[in-house]
Amino acid sequence: MIPAGPNRVLVTGVSNPLGAEVARRLAPQVPFLFGCDIADPVSALEEMDFVHADTRHAVIGKLVRQLHIDTVVHLAVMVDSPHDERSIHETDVIGTMNLVVGCAAPDSSVRRLIVKSSQAIYDAGAGDPSFLSEDMTNSERRAPSVTRDLLDMEQLINEFSLRNEGCRVTVLRLGYRVSEDTTLGRYLSLPIVPTFAGFDPRLQLLHEDDAAEAIVRAVMGAHPGVFNVAGDGVVLLSQAISIMGGRAAPILLPYGKWAARLALRALTRVDVQGHLADVLAYGSVMDCSRLEAEFGWKPPYSSRAVIDALARGKDVEVIEAPSPPQEYELQVYLQRRRREARNALRTGPILEAPR
Amino acid sequence: MIQETTPGQRRRDSRPAEIVRPRSGFSLPKPVRRLQRQAPLYAMQGLSELAARLRQVTGREVIDLNRVMEFVQFMYKQQELARRGPNYTVDEFGFDPQWTESFLAAFMVLYRDYWRVETTGIENVPATGRALLVSNHAGVLPWDGTMIKTAVFAEHPHPRHVRALVASLFMGMPVMSWFLRRTGQTVGHPDDTRRLLERGELVLVFPEGVRGTGKNFKDRYRLRRFGRGGFVSTAIRSRAPIIPISVVGSEEIYPMVGDLGPVARFFGLPYFPITPFWPWLGPLGMIPLPSKWRIQFHPPIHVEENPPEAADDHNLVMALADDVRDTIQQGIYDNLKLRRGVFL
Repeated sequence: MIPAGPNRVLVTGVSNPLGAEVARRLAPQVPFLFGCDIADPVSALEEMDFVHADTRHAVIGKLVRQLHIDTVVHLAVMVDSPHDERSIHETDVIGTMNLVVGCAAPDSSVRRLIVKSSQAIYDAGAGDPSFLSEDMTNSERRAPSVTRDLLDMEQLINEFSLRNEGCRVTVLRLGYRVSEDTTLGRYLSLPIVPTFAGFDPRLQLLHEDDAAEAIVRAVMGAHPGVFNVAGDGVVLLSQAISIMGGRAAPILLPYGKWAARLALRALTRVDVQGHLADVLAYGSVMDCSRLEAEFGWKPPYSSRAVIDALARGKDVEVIEAPSPPQEYELQVYLQRRRREARNALRTGPILEAPR
Repeated sequence: MIQETTPGQRRRDSRPAEIVRPRSGFSLPKPVRRLQRQAPLYAMQGLSELAARLRQVTGREVIDLNRVMEFVQFMYKQQELARRGPNYTVDEFGFDPQWTESFLAAFMVLYRDYWRVETTGIENVPATGRALLVSNHAGVLPWDGTMIKTAVFAEHPHPRHVRALVASLFMGMPVMSWFLRRTGQTVGHPDDTRRLLERGELVLVFPEGVRGTGKNFKDRYRLRRFGRGGFVSTAIRSRAPIIPISVVGSEEIYPMVGDLGPVARFFGLPYFPITPFWPWLGPLGMIPLPSKWRIQFHPPIHVEENPPEAADDHNLVMALADDVRDTIQQGIYDNLKLRRGVFL
């Protein structure tokens, strides 16, 4: 018997900000929610059972079987992380392999698998068409390591979905996100932003809220397939920089990306990964029409709105995560009060009179 | 709809006017600033008086005030663009119409005064809706594309922007990729062509590609192979008519007498031209020669009347591509006869 909606849901990688947000949104909607990660969650969720488990070990399969999970939300996929290439490869490819093996047992109860992928799977190049659709894949031999890892990962997922007809698999290729903890966000927030000389690429961005919302919608509805998820429209890099209040410095040379990356790291301490360096030179825009047709929903934040929101939120302080939930709530409440007070101050008629 | 409010409501919602402090720091004295503001106006007044005097003295137009006004407008447009900051939107292809139009004056000088382009058959370009413009390609640098764009924008009763397809090679070049994208060009990929046509745009394609621009001077006005007819299948699939264009004059702007293959390969270019002036004169050798141009827009070939399945019919596609090629070649011969000389 196949239940109508998701019943017992496992979210891997709940301790990263996106995972935490997805768990928070799923908690009131599903009967049983489990989360696993190697680090403690940012804020405790009462409705969620947290398990310390590493997707890189076979223990994940045991967990899926023992808990009779029917929906797996695989968010333990690292794309934009400070870790080295090897550990990203371990997490993305080996972790996914373990999970898929765990889900593929003959008497498996898993009916639905939602996997987070990324726009980084397309990489970026001068010869790319202006819009990347789901069927196009990067076949270039010298693709950056993250692109290769994601291609391997989606290959595993694809094989799994071909062998297990009973399990509906959704792969969401999330667009690039900008917030304080993404590389692109940190790069755009620099006061003087080194860019590639003579290039002004188109950027397509995705708001954090929309990313979480897309995953929740994929869990609650049944939409098998691969989907691009990103905001409407594009914003030029120079435009984004000036919205953020920075100044573009076209000093990087587009020949030999590694030299440019090294220079960026030395000058600004922002480590831009290989795929991101390609995007900053050539731009990468996805065609999200399949998402709109299938989900009946598209991200409400356009690319421009995402960068506007980032610019507006620049002065919002980040809450250090204290573990008890009530403490977190209190902090959020206090922050909101402070922000309201500050906004009232800003719009009010108190301005210095000229002498 | 504007919501009606009562005077009481308005009074309640109103906020006292903000008094903003002037920017601190050094500023020039007030009379100097006033002069700065009014200097262009005084200059224009002086110039117009000078023009009037000269006309009286010599009996003919010495200073063309229309040209001067065009220049002033160009400068003001650039200033306006600089002032808009990040408050503009580009379409998904990265096209910025306002920015593109600001360069029109500069291209008009080339179009009208330098190459004295004569355009015929502009009425064959539809005022609305999609169409695929197909042209011959020549000259070492793609100036013919800019001139076709200028012709359609300046001469058409309903000015439209033409979106040209360029080789992906240019999208990897530093300044080129930025300029081409911003002025509405996109990669020559069938997917891009389809999307642009579906939006009802005019798409310009050069089926000869770099084989056309990189041909030797002795092969001038001989069309190369028209790809594999991909543009015809795309037009049939997107239900767009094909408008052939013959451009005459672009062959003589850089008479290419040789090609240094190894140098081209080293720089990743399709060819490295040798002309009587390049590379001997350095950057001066990049100045195109002032040949006389003619651009003819031919009547549309309605390939969209074929059923969509015809796009996969290679015989039909190649036959249609040959038709287009013959029309363009014939148009080139006709226009060459109409031209009195290369530079006249």
